[in-house]
Amino acid sequence: MTRQVEAHHYCSHQNQDVRQCLIYDSEGPEARLIGVEYMVAEPLFLALPDDEKPLWHSHEYEVKSGMLFMPGLPGLVEHKDLEQVCKTYGKTYHFWQVDRGDELPFGIPQLMMAFTRDGQLREELAKDIEGRYGVSFEKEREKREYMKGPENGIHPLANGAGKGQMLELREVDLPPVSSLPRAFI
Amino acid sequence: MSSSDQEPQPAPVAGSDGPTPPGKAMTLERKLIDEGAQILQSKKPVSQMKQHLCSFALYGHDPCRQIEAHHYAARLNEEVLQCAVYDSDSPSARLIGVEYIVSEAIFEKLPAEEQKLWHSHAYAIKSGALTCPGVPEVMQRQELKGLAKTYGKFWCTWQVDRGDRLPLGAPALMMSMQTGMAQPEMVKRRDEKYEVSSEALKESRKEMPEPEKIHPNADYWKLHGKGFAVDVVQMDMNSPPALAASAI
Repeated sequence: MTRQVEAHHYCSHQNQDVRQCLIYDSEGPEARLIGVEYMVAEPLFLALPDDEKPLWHSHEYEVKSGMLFMPGLPGLVEHKDLEQVCKTYGKTYHFWQVDRGDELPFGIPQLMMAFTRDGQLREELAKDIEGRYGVSFEKEREKREYMKGPENGIHPLANGAGKGQMLELREVDLPPVSSLPRAFI
Repeated sequence: MSSSDQEPQPAPVAGSDGPTPPGKAMTLERKLIDEGAQILQSKKPVSQMKQHLCSFALYGHDPCRQIEAHHYAARLNEEVLQCAVYDSDSPSARLIGVEYIVSEAIFEKLPAEEQKLWHSHAYAIKSGALTCPGVPEVMQRQELKGLAKTYGKFWCTWQVDRGDRLPLGAPALMMSMQTGMAQPEMVKRRDEKYEVSSEALKESRKEMPEPEKIHPNADYWKLHGKGFAVDVVQMDMNSPPALAASAI
């Protein structure tokens, strides 16, 4: 809960139900590429294997709380998109922990979770973003009250299934490097 | 569960038939929102990706498994690049990971434990495995001369090649092509598509300088016979994972 990061997502649609996003630590030309996120519609999330679901997080809270927004887009257009995002699940990995001062992407990836309830987001981080972008999370929250989350409710296995999840590196013995490398063509 | 070197559990989105990814076609409303965003929002970080590099990568936990990788590279400074990596160069390409590239000087200062996660680029470039599609070789050589002495760290987040229709499991650490490893059919297919000849590129790059020696901690699998996989483990709730606040 202690480490929280502002993240700028640049998203493209693979189709109506799947987005893939590059995540940067700012929106300027010098921004560092810190991670990736994939976002899927609810039916696709439900089709994931059960041991995969905990790696994905819900977006309902982040959208409805106002903290997730699309800089520069008029409210009506933004809301059209966010109505969809509200029902999706995301999977996010960060590779570069700039928030702790890493000058390069050290170590292994971090599995990122989303905010899921009030009281998690640090006050000063919220105020800083609101100030810079001229938005008010509180006002947005009121406007977004009508939005609905996943049709089937937030799946109990999402968001780490209620537990923390972290990644660990493991050394593996390799089979002898044969003269027949495989490629799935 | 969900380790990078484990086959996913059977599921409609793992190894089954159908498009990758699954999902409905984009609606008109969706396209209009995207057009609006395209016009109204600036994409400065993304527009820094000025170069397209096509090469081959190996899975760090199974170097016999190889993929064609398309890197869209942005330079942060003279010594560091960051790349979004896709499985093709088409508009429908899947984002399969991220690679960071650093100079020899920066690599040498990294702690040993960190260096093990990185791979060299000299062989991939000098063998002609790596090419910049569409760029005449005489121009490519200039840029690649600098890259031949760099080291990269590549995390693959979507194992499309094994049939994952959505990104499953933990990220996989990737390694670079080394001597004698390239799967001939894979290279031939790439060469035909881009009308290049790896052999001709190799010939043209014979005199290209390379590091005096590749650092022994890089390309870890090659020298130590061991690779790396990534596991997902459950943690004590007193130290939960990092949360991300988004601006989207």
